[in-house]
Amino acid sequence: MDGHENEGILQCPSLQCPSSGMSTNPLPEKVSGMIMNSVSMYKHSNGADPFFSSGWDPLVSLSHNENFGGSSMVSHREFASTPYPIVLENQGISGTSHLVQYPSSSTFVELVPKLPCLGSGSFSDMVNSFGLPECSQIANSECPQNYASSKEGGTGRTSTNGALSQDDRQISAEGAVGSSPNAKRRKRVSDYNNSPVSPRQNAEGEMEKDLSGQSSDVQKEPDEKKPKTEQNPGSNFRGKQTGKQGKNASSADGFKENYIHVRARRGQATNSHSLAERVRREKISERMRLLQELVPGCNKITGKAVMLDEIINYVQSLQQQVEFLSMKLATVNPEQNVDIEQILSKDIINSRRGTGAILGFVPGTSSSHRFHRGTFQGTLPSISSTTSKYPLLPQTVLDNELHGLFQVGFDSCPAVDNLGSNGHFKPEL
Amino acid sequence: MNPKRFSSSTRPSTTVKSRFACGFLRALWRINRQRRTSTSASSREICRRYLRVKVAADVSMASAVGSRRAWSRAILLRKLRNQGQNGTVRVRRMSNIPRMRKRNICGNKCTEEVAGTCQAEQLRKLVPGGEEMDMCNLLGETAHYIECLTTQVNVMRRIAEILST
Repeated sequence: MDGHENEGILQCPSLQCPSSGMSTNPLPEKVSGMIMNSVSMYKHSNGADPFFSSGWDPLVSLSHNENFGGSSMVSHREFASTPYPIVLENQGISGTSHLVQYPSSSTFVELVPKLPCLGSGSFSDMVNSFGLPECSQIANSECPQNYASSKEGGTGRTSTNGALSQDDRQISAEGAVGSSPNAKRRKRVSDYNNSPVSPRQNAEGEMEKDLSGQSSDVQKEPDEKKPKTEQNPGSNFRGKQTGKQGKNASSADGFKENYIHVRARRGQATNSHSLAERVRREKISERMRLLQELVPGCNKITGKAVMLDEIINYVQSLQQQVEFLSMKLATVNPEQNVDIEQILSKDIINSRRGTGAILGFVPGTSSSHRFHRGTFQGTLPSISSTTSKYPLLPQTVLDNELHGLFQVGFDSCPAVDNLGSNGHFKPEL
Repeated sequence: MNPKRFSSSTRPSTTVKSRFACGFLRALWRINRQRRTSTSASSREICRRYLRVKVAADVSMASAVGSRRAWSRAILLRKLRNQGQNGTVRVRRMSNIPRMRKRNICGNKCTEEVAGTCQAEQLRKLVPGGEEMDMCNLLGETAHYIECLTTQVNVMRRIAEILST
């Protein structure tokens, strides 16, 4: 919002002296008030000037962030260079009531500069951490966990939520860090319930996602989600991150249990059924994405119906190919030499196969002796006939890869069970 | 590319591909052995052999995958049922998939009606064992099935090449 303000703040990291800083910077009142408060609190506990020089930058960046209205959530990767994504509500920063919950011992405390909410005890910890270069490196994964663990008590949250709902604007950074840039106001005090589920996903930014109008509804979520043991709150956090401003009344739900913690996004129903529906949809879209990678040529397709059509066509074509090949194998004359079967099996397994449509078939460990011995006999004909619209999985020229396998004389015919122990040249695509 | 079954690929002979190749070659060998005994080249024989090869391909693929997947289980069960009709094999009843999932099957509305049948229904017909799955699992099974089908196609093509040279 106020770029110049931010510049002013950033350019004046010598905002150390609050009084002087305040006078020079056109900060919004509350920010200045906040800073004043923090500074004054700090002075009580510490009072050392070096603090400001070393540790003020994060605070500066806090205010910087605040000026943006918390619009930019920085990914945790940029953590070092970007300000703490602390979002401070414009309505003002409430007192210290929040920080009562603040774990004083965890690193989370250090990471989260909750300026206005500084408890007397915790502030010094936070302050000390500001000068630490590791602050930026402290993974948010830690913090949410710490925070969440501190909230494991859980029961008190609902009560505090009521108190917090107005003060909700106080955001602790650890959940905020790493979320997507669209986060408006992150009042996710209670967002940390998701953190035990997946701190990594936290980093991806559920901050702005989850609001529930009523905390009570969200409280019911664990019960609703109980049958789902899959932990996938991250799936809820993808998707629309519209720059919606407004209150995100977050509800407390910090249970670390086996069900999915779903959060209602802003503007969405908090009905348990719709939440379950949303989880289901997210799962389905995830699977569709997987399938999109499997089916060739579907990278650009957007739309479930078209995608399903492609998938159906592809499966049909593959099945037709199998039928065609089995017909071909049925008509081919059997070889008289039985050993060929064993040779074939080695060859088949070790030969390089087609396109990237095949996933994950890694050949066995290579043994160099077979690699160097032997000569490859002949080139492989390519099968060209198919009725499907998909190109046949292309045959690669295997001579450079099979020369270790085909030997002039079948000097050794290892048992079929020893397949794959022979050399393999390259991993499958 | 990372192996999908990393744990099994540490021993090379335990990849799905190798298991399938072994099983399929054995089945082919058995079929061809019978073929040698009866040297008729009639189309009916060929047709019968073709069907056997096809079943062998599916069953060996399903055995290679194991029981982890619903589609492989469905194929193996189908084979057992067919054997049971011919012999004395008893098919062990699979546990019923909870019917509550049926709700989700119809809950996923088809965005398009293709040839009068829903796309999901079509997919269910294609993927073995897909009739009773909800959409989410169906898609997962489809992904795995596609993977295994591509392996199958490649291995069979390779075998056909080698046998025809």
